[in-house]
Amino acid sequence: MTKKKILLVDDEKDMVFAVKMQLEAQDFEVLTATDGQEALDKVHRDKPDLIILDVMLPKIDGYKVCRMLKFDKKYKNIPIIMFTARIQETDKKVGYEVGADAYLTKPFEPKALIEQMNQLLKE
Amino acid sequence: MNKKFDYDQLLNQYLFMKDFLENIPEAVYCKDIEGRLTLANKAYRKIFRIKSQEVIGKTDFELFPAEWAQRMFQDDQSVFKTGKPIIDKIERISQSKGADQFASMTRAPRYSDQRKIIGLIGITRDVTKRVYFDYLKEERLQMEKKLEMLEELNRSKSEFISAVSHELRTPLAIIKQLFLLIYDEIVGPVNDKQREILVKVRHNIERQRMMLDQLLDMSRIDRKKLSLHYSLVNLPDLLKDSEDFFEELASEKNIRLTYHFPKQEIIIFIDAERIIQVMTNLIINAIKFTKDKGSIKIEIKILETKVRVEVIDTGIGIAKSDLSKLFGKFVQVSKMESVERKGIGLGLSIVKELIEKHGGEIWVESQLGVGSKFYFTLPRFYTANILEKEIRGRINQLGAKNRIVYLINFLIVNYEEFKKKIDSREKKLLEALKNIMHATFNDMFPARIKKQRVFINDLSRGKFSIILPEGSAQKVSRYCELLRGNTKNYFIKNKIDNIFIAIGILSYSAKVRAEASKKSADNFIIKELYIGSEIRRHKRINYKTNVEVSLKDQKKYYWESMDLSLGGICLLGEIPLKTDEKVRTSMTLLKKKEPFHAMTRVAWIKQIEPDATPVVGKYKIGLEFTHIDDKDKEILSQELKLYYD
Repeated sequence: MTKKKILLVDDEKDMVFAVKMQLEAQDFEVLTATDGQEALDKVHRDKPDLIILDVMLPKIDGYKVCRMLKFDKKYKNIPIIMFTARIQETDKKVGYEVGADAYLTKPFEPKALIEQMNQLLKE
Repeated sequence: MNKKFDYDQLLNQYLFMKDFLENIPEAVYCKDIEGRLTLANKAYRKIFRIKSQEVIGKTDFELFPAEWAQRMFQDDQSVFKTGKPIIDKIERISQSKGADQFASMTRAPRYSDQRKIIGLIGITRDVTKRVYFDYLKEERLQMEKKLEMLEELNRSKSEFISAVSHELRTPLAIIKQLFLLIYDEIVGPVNDKQREILVKVRHNIERQRMMLDQLLDMSRIDRKKLSLHYSLVNLPDLLKDSEDFFEELASEKNIRLTYHFPKQEIIIFIDAERIIQVMTNLIINAIKFTKDKGSIKIEIKILETKVRVEVIDTGIGIAKSDLSKLFGKFVQVSKMESVERKGIGLGLSIVKELIEKHGGEIWVESQLGVGSKFYFTLPRFYTANILEKEIRGRINQLGAKNRIVYLINFLIVNYEEFKKKIDSREKKLLEALKNIMHATFNDMFPARIKKQRVFINDLSRGKFSIILPEGSAQKVSRYCELLRGNTKNYFIKNKIDNIFIAIGILSYSAKVRAEASKKSADNFIIKELYIGSEIRRHKRINYKTNVEVSLKDQKKYYWESMDLSLGGICLLGEIPLKTDEKVRTSMTLLKKKEPFHAMTRVAWIKQIEPDATPVVGKYKIGLEFTHIDDKDKEILSQELKLYYD
């Protein structure tokens, strides 16, 4: 079985480091990006199986990236998990409105993320 | 002309003028060109507080302090020189004792027949009250400005706290994520000594996170930015989800934690995350203040229109003097040395806000050394048994393995009440709703899915379900969005209000379907639609009358009632009754003018804020009728009917 390709987008490099390691321990292939533009470039180039997207991103914010991908026929089937340090209820609502498939609040239990990912990858 | 008649007329005129001058409350006077008084009425003496008998012929220098006389002299001179009157000049009349007096002075020149100024006429009026009034007005304006500034300051404080806590959360989240690499042994095995340390680190990360969350919540409450995210939840399930976690915490202190829940489902409309937050706060507090081998009981009771949750501990208790402060900000009431002061004291004030935002009440009863009982209620208006047997069966039949089955529930939550309101239009309305659902569905889904879908129509009870054996979460969600919009337009177009609709999307994976079908879905989202003002299951009416309240120990109170329904009565009491206490009530019904008696039980209590509008009592007390004689029951329902119409 080929490894599933995950694109992890977060502007906090240490966060990326930690989550990447957690995911790699679960046998995922992890690509990373630290801003919205880089994220879009990597989606075009590498066609990931799933995207983990932070809301607060430089250049293009996470909601916008999500909306752009979900309105693009080529990419709308790639599941997107949004995550952020904010716990505002409205964020969750916006997250679903822009078409995110799931939503996680930071910090999170790796188990919860992995479960969510596996479920979305199965669908 | 008769001379005698002339004299009488003159006399009358003189008496009239004298009367006028002596009785007018304004000081009226005349001065000659030297500044000597030639006329002064009674009020002149009163206003200038002159004690000496004779003032006629005297100058201001003889009657008043030099400085003041000098000022008046200058004004007089100006009138003499220019011929221009001085109108409404405010002067302070100095007083050796007491408050300052203020007078309005008006002077106009007095002319001789040859148009030469020969003196002046003056009117002086006491305007102390007016001046003080203006002064107060000015002061109030200043106060309002200050208040505005304070509010602004408070706002920026709240915004600052919010910004800081957001910023502090980011590194903390990173710390936790990095920490978990070690804790979860992703980067290598951890030995027992290290594990012991890591557990403590984890505990402290959680503690810090909780405090930051509390600060954020508080600043949101301050800025009125806290909003709830409602969904339909089975309350016992929700509370049982965290059972293990709390049992573990309790067992560390040898505390017995027991749950007493009714067997039936209690499906209510709440923000599940927030209610978990409330429970976490109450249970952790209970554990903190309960000694080894104590016990904590968590109980749910179903009331008439509410659900009541109780957290009862055998802890150290709370002193009577502290009870009222308990739900305030930054409060730490424990003075016990054995209990560490932990946290920033925001927990219970947030809990109170969250419960009240849900439309519930929260209160506490406690006895030092015996324990505390925390109670809160949540409204039960939006109850609905989402999973009927038929639907359950269908879900289990349907759906290939690995497929997710979606269930869309369209529910008019307040249907019973709503039906009465629209009565004759009911059939038409239901037909229209059905059409909206079908049309929206056909626009949205391909033929393949159309064949498989199952519509379950229970519209006579305001319910409608669609089971989709396949489909994507997004598509189902978009369908519901559309359905919501179309329904809303229909109601608005037909001017139907006071309707509450919940559209729920539930998804069932194969795994969940295989397990007991009773179990709730993997995932559900609720879209709610509400048109009109507040609804309640039992119609309550405003009802102000005196009610005799007799307690078990023969004590009697006469309290004012606030509202009344078939299920109970709400009173304004001066003392908090005990929760679940049996109380006998008697009153005379306002319209029927007949006596009414009922046995009741104290269902909930709400302390009224001391800064709220003045009210007679200090506690709002909800009493539920437990026993009413048939005769009284009949009178009550007749009385209520008179109000409904």
